[in-house]
Amino acid sequence: MKIFRNLSLALVMFFATISAQAQNGNEKTVQIKTSAVCGMCKKTLEKAMAYEKGVKASTLDVDSKMLSVTYDSKKTNEGKIRKAVNETGYDADDKPATPRAYNKLDDCCRKEAGAH
Amino acid sequence: MILAKSVRHLYLALGTLALFIMILYPATAQQLTGKVVDKTNYSPLIGANVVWLGTAKGVSTDAAGNFTLQLSDAVSPHIIVSYLGYKPDTVDVSGKTAITIALSPTSSLREVVVEGQQTRYSALTPTNSQIITTRDLEKSACCNLAESFETNASVEVTTTDAVSGAKQIQMLGLDGAYTLLTTDNVPALRGLSTPYRLNYLSGTYIESIDIIKGMGSALNGYESISGQVNVKLKDPEKSERLYLNLYGNSLAKLDANLNVSAQVSPEWSTLLMLHSDHLGNRVDRNNDGFMDLALGTHHNVYNKWKYTHGNTWVSEFGVNALRETKLGGQMDYVKGEPIGPNQHYGTESETDRLSFYNKTSYTFPGKPYQSLGFISSAVHHKFNSIYGRRQYNGEQNTGDLRLIFQSIIGHTGHTYKVGASFLYDDYTERLEQSRLARTERVPGIFAEYIFNNSENLTVVAGARTDFHNLYGTVFTPRLNIKYDLTQNTIFRLAAGKGFRVANPISENTAALVSNRAFVFGEELEPEKAWNLGGSFTQYFELGGRPGAFITDYYYTTFQNQVVADMYTSASQIAFYNLQGRSFSRSFQAELQYEVLKGFDVKTAYKYYDVQTTYNGTTQQRPMIPQHRFFVNLGFATPFDKWRADLTTQYFGQMPLAYMESHGGATSARQSDAFYTLNGQVSRAFKRWELYLGGENLLNFRQPDAIRGADNPFGPAFDASMVWGPITGRVIYAGMRFKIE
Repeated sequence: MKIFRNLSLALVMFFATISAQAQNGNEKTVQIKTSAVCGMCKKTLEKAMAYEKGVKASTLDVDSKMLSVTYDSKKTNEGKIRKAVNETGYDADDKPATPRAYNKLDDCCRKEAGAH
Repeated sequence: MILAKSVRHLYLALGTLALFIMILYPATAQQLTGKVVDKTNYSPLIGANVVWLGTAKGVSTDAAGNFTLQLSDAVSPHIIVSYLGYKPDTVDVSGKTAITIALSPTSSLREVVVEGQQTRYSALTPTNSQIITTRDLEKSACCNLAESFETNASVEVTTTDAVSGAKQIQMLGLDGAYTLLTTDNVPALRGLSTPYRLNYLSGTYIESIDIIKGMGSALNGYESISGQVNVKLKDPEKSERLYLNLYGNSLAKLDANLNVSAQVSPEWSTLLMLHSDHLGNRVDRNNDGFMDLALGTHHNVYNKWKYTHGNTWVSEFGVNALRETKLGGQMDYVKGEPIGPNQHYGTESETDRLSFYNKTSYTFPGKPYQSLGFISSAVHHKFNSIYGRRQYNGEQNTGDLRLIFQSIIGHTGHTYKVGASFLYDDYTERLEQSRLARTERVPGIFAEYIFNNSENLTVVAGARTDFHNLYGTVFTPRLNIKYDLTQNTIFRLAAGKGFRVANPISENTAALVSNRAFVFGEELEPEKAWNLGGSFTQYFELGGRPGAFITDYYYTTFQNQVVADMYTSASQIAFYNLQGRSFSRSFQAELQYEVLKGFDVKTAYKYYDVQTTYNGTTQQRPMIPQHRFFVNLGFATPFDKWRADLTTQYFGQMPLAYMESHGGATSARQSDAFYTLNGQVSRAFKRWELYLGGENLLNFRQPDAIRGADNPFGPAFDASMVWGPITGRVIYAGMRFKIE
């Protein structure tokens, strides 16, 4: 058990080093407050982010509604990412969702449904 | 892990409960009283269900929206409040003795798009239903309804004859004509259009498909016997603004689809869908002198309009027009070749179809459970065709009206629907010298009662009485019961009766491509059948990944059937009313499981026993295998960037209709057992998607698909005994482009 823990710790360290090297200065992370309310929103938003140019990874914390996006600053910027969030139907900080995209969301993903 | 979690939840719940009781005890309150109201106008909701979380102890609200719950029944200080047409809510009531709960209405006709992975078998419907989602639809080759069922085990797609290459569906081992096809719940493509109907709906028009096995609701008419396939077309409000699909395959068949949608005003939205396909290349890979697939050109236009006014009025209009021309037969056949001793064998057809529908619903303000719906549709369908030296022309004009009122008795545990309908069907068919015509006028009334104990039992009991101008009064009862033993273990039962007037020629067009004479021995009566069946569904989680096991059994027995007898004589297809028995027994077991993250496996086994009495002897219906096996492997990388699918099907031996007396040569009476293999790979980008796939990758072809191909006007000619693929391996590629 202990050996296993040490081993996995070593592995984690190893990958951490690799990813730190891969960052080469262009990788940035942005935190965006969204209007997401449920687990389905999380799926929708994370999928939309995955198809955005320059986005490396994204996670939405449903409880705090915070979306953190890791991106390559050479290929995209915060404005573009916020716009992509809006076009998926969600508010991004002070920028409101595109009405058409918002109307297309499922009932359970709408703001008025409340967090659940 | 899960166990530990639930134990922790239990402790938490018990702890909270203890606290809750301790807080409440000094106040000596033994009850929780409250009121349920509408969030928008604060009017009381009568008959809303209020249940303690985690228990079955609950009550319904009275005429003033009030309720009283016993605190002693609680296991957790939370109540679940639900009401039809409103979003259910879980409310924390810790420390409270009186509470007002405001529910917000759900917008009525807005349907939830199911895009889950293991939700293909619905856990909610009272019928045994499966959903083919857009994601599933994109797994198979484009572009018509027939291909949509390729990755599904419950519906089989078969080829009708070796000349046209037209595809048909089968359910429970019964012909597609016994399955009711609806688009957006409006009966569609009935009657004379049945043989080629799968071609008439492009895959790109479709949002999702619901498949109901066995008896469904009586609301949609008396015709369904083996099941119902409901195609949900794209919704103008939610569809992509632009969708383009281009497809081409190794036979040089081309397919183009374009959808454009727009929100015209806050209340009106529209969607225009276009489809064209064309095959102009003559292919004869099996060297029998006949084209493997009929040439054809098909243009199809569908325009939908949707009107939404608040939460009260929703109306949808649709117009569909199509034109299809086909040409098949010998490689050297030229269109319009005159009849003569040296002519080539050929088939030609020209179809025009125009249809219209409207669906309007009015939801009573402040009463989301009460609504009035009006559905109307009209169809004109006309075709002219030539099969060798036979001419077959037909025309169908149909009008259908339905009015449905839906409400509740007391509270939403008792829902009912009542209504009236009127069907007008006018048929004219001409085959060689004989003419068949009939006009049906059928007013009818129907009612359906739905009982739901909001816990584990749903009963849907419906019946309709129709007053048929030709066949008298028709009574059609239907019953569906769903019982949830646990949340993950579901039993369903379905029973009922179906009635339909057969169109024997159009349902047996395959036999037109043979030397067989069409013989009508007597006045044909309508078909009547009982269907009884049930299913068992078990959802499970193994290693953190979901799965489902489904098994079902259905028994259909005909009181009358129009028997198409190809056994008795090799030179005839004789039609007569059933004398004796005709039944179908179908068993299916299916297992779905996500073996690894992103890797889905679906397997199914099917057993069919379909027998009919032909001229005094009861025997297996031709061309239905007793055993089938189905395996679908689906792989997807996160967010579906890459997807790959592989489907293999095994078809057991099938009995074939009697052919031994043909010109002294002996022919097989059993087909071979065989496998088919289809696969597809696709890569998605933000707006683009590319796909590459293959059908019948094992390149299996039915040997001698056309009997007597060297002498097509001779007595031995028969292209109707098709039990396997004709075309061999087909490779295709295409692209999709979307703007949301």
